[in-house]
This record gives sequence, structure tokens and C-alpha cells, in this order.
Amino acid sequence: MTRSFILSAGVGDPALAEPATSAQILTAAEAAGVDLLLLGRHDSLPFDPQVIAAWAAPRVSRLGVVPLVSTRIAHPFHVARALSAIDFLSGGLLGWAPVAQGGSAAQLADMVRATRALWDGWDEDCLIIDKEAGRYLDTTKVRPSNYVGTHYSVRGPVNAMRPKQGHPLLVCDAASPFAVPGIDVVIAAEGQAFPAAARRLLRVEPDIDVAAMAARFEAGEIDGLHVDLAHPLAELGRIGESLSALTRGRAAEGTLRERLGLPLTLRNVYEEIA
Amino acid sequence: MPRPIHLWAFLQGIGHYPSGWRHPGADPAGVFTMDYYARVGRLVEKGRFDAIVFGDQLQSRGVHGRAPEHLAMPTLDPMALLSAIASVTQHVGLVNTLSTTYWSPEGLAERFATMDRISGGRAGWNIVTTAHPDTAPNFGDDELPEKSLRYKMAAQTVAQAQAVWRERNAELGTSPQARPVFVQAGQSADGRDFAASIAEAIFCSAPTMEDGIAFRNDMRARVAAAGRDPDAVKIMPGLSFILADTEAAAIAKDQAILDLADEKLCIEYLSESLVCDLTQFDVNGPIPVEAILAQTILPKADIARVLEKPAAIGLSLGKFAAGYVRTPRGHNVFRGTASQLANMMIQWIEAGACDGFTLQPAYMPGELEIFVEEVVPILQAAGALRTEYPGSTLRETMGLPRWPADMAA
Ligand SMILES: Cc1cc2nc3c(=O)[nH]c(=O)nc-3n(C[C@H](O)[C@H](O)[C@H](O)COP(=O)(O)O)c2cc1C
Repeated sequence: MTRSFILSAGVGDPALAEPATSAQILTAAEAAGVDLLLLGRHDSLPFDPQVIAAWAAPRVSRLGVVPLVSTRIAHPFHVARALSAIDFLSGGLLGWAPVAQGGSAAQLADMVRATRALWDGWDEDCLIIDKEAGRYLDTTKVRPSNYVGTHYSVRGPVNAMRPKQGHPLLVCDAASPFAVPGIDVVIAAEGQAFPAAARRLLRVEPDIDVAAMAARFEAGEIDGLHVDLAHPLAELGRIGESLSALTRGRAAEGTLRERLGLPLTLRNVYEEIA
Repeated sequence: MPRPIHLWAFLQGIGHYPSGWRHPGADPAGVFTMDYYARVGRLVEKGRFDAIVFGDQLQSRGVHGRAPEHLAMPTLDPMALLSAIASVTQHVGLVNTLSTTYWSPEGLAERFATMDRISGGRAGWNIVTTAHPDTAPNFGDDELPEKSLRYKMAAQTVAQAQAVWRERNAELGTSPQARPVFVQAGQSADGRDFAASIAEAIFCSAPTMEDGIAFRNDMRARVAAAGRDPDAVKIMPGLSFILADTEAAAIAKDQAILDLADEKLCIEYLSESLVCDLTQFDVNGPIPVEAILAQTILPKADIARVLEKPAAIGLSLGKFAAGYVRTPRGHNVFRGTASQLANMMIQWIEAGACDGFTLQPAYMPGELEIFVEEVVPILQAAGALRTEYPGSTLRETMGLPRWPADMAA
């Protein structure tokens, strides 16, 4: 399988909460071939990124939406439910980027573990929905999570459903790092340590030396790029054009995990909880 | 000209009847897809409803070692559903239920501030205090705080949230409604006083017109005593319905849905409602009152009151469970034709029993479609329901003051 170049961008502008602006940014990001659009910034959250992600869900066809989830206000039970719903509504195009915002890395890791444990209270194939027989659920496939961590204890299971992708894509920003097994994507700047993850994205400025980045991607040093956008509409247009050689011809179908070749390694997660 | 009727759609799960998901017109798998919510959102807007309301529960299933196999699940997170619906609709209000007991004021204030902006001013907050004891362990607690304490916490949380909104509005520009429309659902004296102090709309159950009149009069008196204008608080009781071309056909249709509630489903529903495992008991035997009271984690006095009458007349457990699914959550259930329903609604409004209705279709989306296609045009022809939306925000749609007085600087 050929490796797929990953293009990620981040928007923290409060204007993202204005529907007209948000609609334009989403359209521009899709057109630019962005795979992951991070909503919010680790050092400020002028809006609730989960609300924006839910609003974006019916508007995206290949763009992955990645709300920042902050321990400052989030609780694993609420997070697990909201993200599960947004993953279904977007057709499996959801990621999440947990950030500490004043909390510790340990608390952040604990929130991630608790949230995953809640999702894992439901097996993938637990729904029967047989009208004739009157059977809705295979009850042997639902169990309390009984998660007890350092900061959170949550009995569970989540009272929604396991997300469409099993777990939405887990994105770690090296600016707010946390250590858990099974991080899907990590974003780090030049010279910053990359926490362990399946894919590594280099944080760059919008005016990119494309040839140099293409060489590093070919060499397997990085799996893609992340750009923080200050002027999203203008910058998305430029980035889309300058990187088109790297982004052209990639898969457009399927869930984010399917497209980026990041299947959920359930065993990791179960082992961690066990 | 009759008084205008306000309509809300309470769209939790797959309909009001526990057995509704088995109806041919129900789409139980749809509740996991955007297509379903786009269809429902547009349908409700076509019917010129004020708002969609999603309830919310924070307890888990299967924690006592037994998850129900025959009941449809509660739906997904209401914030996510309503924000996604905001994206595909223009006018309909979006009332999200959030608990003051298990949300931080900052967290819920940010959530609603963002919902109000991104929806163009259509956010409402159904302020609940959470009643189910199984919620506590999901937030690291052993026990739910006692009820009047929960209402004290609610008043505090609302005040703190308002402080956050004032700050946010000053920093970022005022959101279209300044804050969400305040909705309350709670029946006790504490609950009613809390509602009287802040609510702009109240969701309640009123099984008969007399119950509605009594509740509305009581609430208007409490609102006036709290120094507020009773006309600025809309009373919106639940109304479940089953429609057909004749009354006899509607009653037959109702029976057919109830027949889908087999013995196992009925026992599971009662077990869920009373929070105890009734699957172990003989359905032909008496109601095991002692065992239920020993097991349940709900307030025992409340449960004893529910069981008292059926136990005294010697009802079997199976018969009691079968009766219990017929009146889920104590709301008014209407069976009849579209014009009979329209007439009943107008009559309730004229009698002062309510200001509108929170419609709870027996199954979804089929029964809601029938309402929009058949009842809405009758109400509109009678001048009882708007044909166009008066504005874009939920406040304008509900005829509430454009700026909430409590948000003045
Ligand atoms: C019609 C109605 C609908 C309600 N919906 C919810 C709900 O969706 N979620 C919730 O946690 N509580 C809900 N409640 C519970 C109330 O918020 C309150 O906690 C509970 O009724 C106990 O208070 P009370 O004795 O004052 O009614 C509802 C109550 C009523 C009467």
C-alpha cells in the first residue's frame, strides 16, 4: 500500500462560531484537500469545538473534523457521548485532540483512558434491531466500564453507542502532550520531541518549502504536515495549490480511519484497561 | 382568532411508546445517521414548530448486570444532534437538556454560547437537575445529592452561567439571543418555584385538561409571586398521539402498537422504570412489592405509591407491566383523527390548560409525518398556527422578549 500524505490544519479564530464564516472555512478546507481540521487552539478556546464539530458533521464529505477537548471543562462521560454522536453524524470523519489547558499531562491521559473505556463498554456488533423478533440489543455485548483512574472514575458504559469508527481518531499535539498507547496522529514542531504515535505530522508555517517537505515525506521522516491558520480562507487556498502534487489522487471514500490506513487496534486498548 | 398554539417536538429515541421502534413506520437504525435527523429537522420546520427538544439521561445501561434486550436505546448526545440539525435548518429552535448537577457552569455556558452563535440564535436550555441515582457513579460520586439541594445547586449554576455569558458577550460580541431560552421540567414544589424564578417555558405532563388548567394556574400564580409576567412563561405539556382516518382505526392502531409490547418488553420497561430486576419473578404471580422496594435505588416512598393501588386490587405482575407501557411517563395520549386532535388542541388552549404542546409521536418518524401532513394544515386554516416564522431566533419564534431582562448590563 502506498503511504498517503496527511494534510492537517488548525483554526482557532472565534469567527468559526459564526455560521457563514464556518461554512466557508469548511468548504475551503475540503477543496484544499485537508484531511484533518483541528477546531480550537491548545492555548485558547473561544468557542466549544465539539459544538462546531457537530454543526460541521452534515457539511463534510472527506474532511476529518478534530475538535480540541480540554480537561479544563470536559468530563469523560460527556466527552464519550458527544464524540460518539458526532462520529455517527459525520459518517465516521471524526478525530479528537485532547488538551490539558492548565491541567497536568497525567490528568489528560486519564481523561483519554476513561473516555475509551466508556466506548469499550459496547461491542461493535451489539445492536440487533430485529423488529420481527422484538430483539434490539445483544445484552451479552454490553458491560459496565468500571474505570478507576487517577483523576476520574466512571462506571459506564456510555449511554450512547460505541462510535462508528470504534474510537474517533486520536490526535496528540506535542504542545500539550500525553502518553497513552494507540495515539493515531501526533503533531510536533521542528526540534520538538514526537510522542509515540502511528503517524507524525510536522507543524509548519503556511509558506512551505514544498520540495523539502516532499523529500522528508518520501524518506519516511514525516507522514504529513500541520499548519495553524491565522487567515484561514486565504491560507487554505494557497496551501491547497502548493501541496497539490502531494495530495492529488488520495482516497476520498470511507471513514477517516479507513482512508488514512489507521485501523483501530482494539487489543491495545483492551490490554491497557485490563 | 384563537390564541396561537406553540408546538414543540420532543424527539427522544424512536418515539414515545416503548414498543414504537417495532412499528413498520419506525426507523430505529436511522437514529445513528445524519439523514434521519436532516429529515426530521426539515419536517418539524415544515410544520412550523417552535422547537425540537431532546431530553437527556446520564445513567448507564447494564450496570446492575442486566441490560434490556427488547427496549430501544436512548439516543445519542442531544447537543450533537441539535447542533447538526442547526446546520440543515433555518428556523426551528433547538432545546438541549443539560443537567445542573453534572455539568460545570463554565462547561455548559461555553457549550450554549457556541450553540447560540452557530445556530443564529436558536438555542434553548432545558434545565434539569437529574433524578436517576445511577448517574452518580458516572461522575465519581456515590450518591445523587438530595432533591432540594439539587435545586439550590441549579439556581447557583444558572447564576454562574449567566456571569460567563455576560463576560463572553462583552469579549466576543453579543450572541444572537444573549443567552439560551430557559426551559424547565420539574413537578415538585421546589421544582415549580425554581421554574417560577427563571423559566421562560415549562415542559410538564398533564394527562387531562383539568390537570393542565390546575398546573398552569398554579405556575402563573408562582410566576407572578416571583415578580415576573405570567404571559412571558409558556406552559408546554407533553402530548403523545396516534392518528388514523377514523377514531376506531386510531384505537385499533394504538392497540396494534401496544401488541408489539410483548411480555418481555413490558417486564423490561417496568424494570427500567422501577430500577430493579423483575425478570426473575412469575408474571402470573402477584406484584413483588417487598422485593421491589428492597432492590430499587429510587426513592422508596415514590415507588411504594406507584405500586399501592395495583397491588391492592391484586393485579398480576404481567398485567401491571402491560398496563404500565400504555401510559409511558404519564403524558396525555390522544387517539383519533387529525381534525379531532386539532380541535382538542384548540380547546385546551382556549380553556387555559396550556400555551402549546410538546408533541411526542408514538413512533418516529412515521407518526410525526402524519401530524405535519394532516393536523398542521387544519390548525393553520383555523388561524391557530402560524404559516410563516416571524423571525429567526427562538425568542422571536416563541413570542418572548427579544433580549432577556436578566442579561442587561
Ligand atoms: C416532563 C418532564 C421531563 C423531564 N425530562 C428530563 C430529562 O430529559 N432529563 C433529566 O435528567 N430530567 C428530566 N426531568 C426531571 C426533572 O429535571 C427533575 O429532576 C425531576 O423531575 C425531579 O424533580 P421534581 O420532583 O421537581 O419533578 C423531567 C421532568 C419532567 C416532569
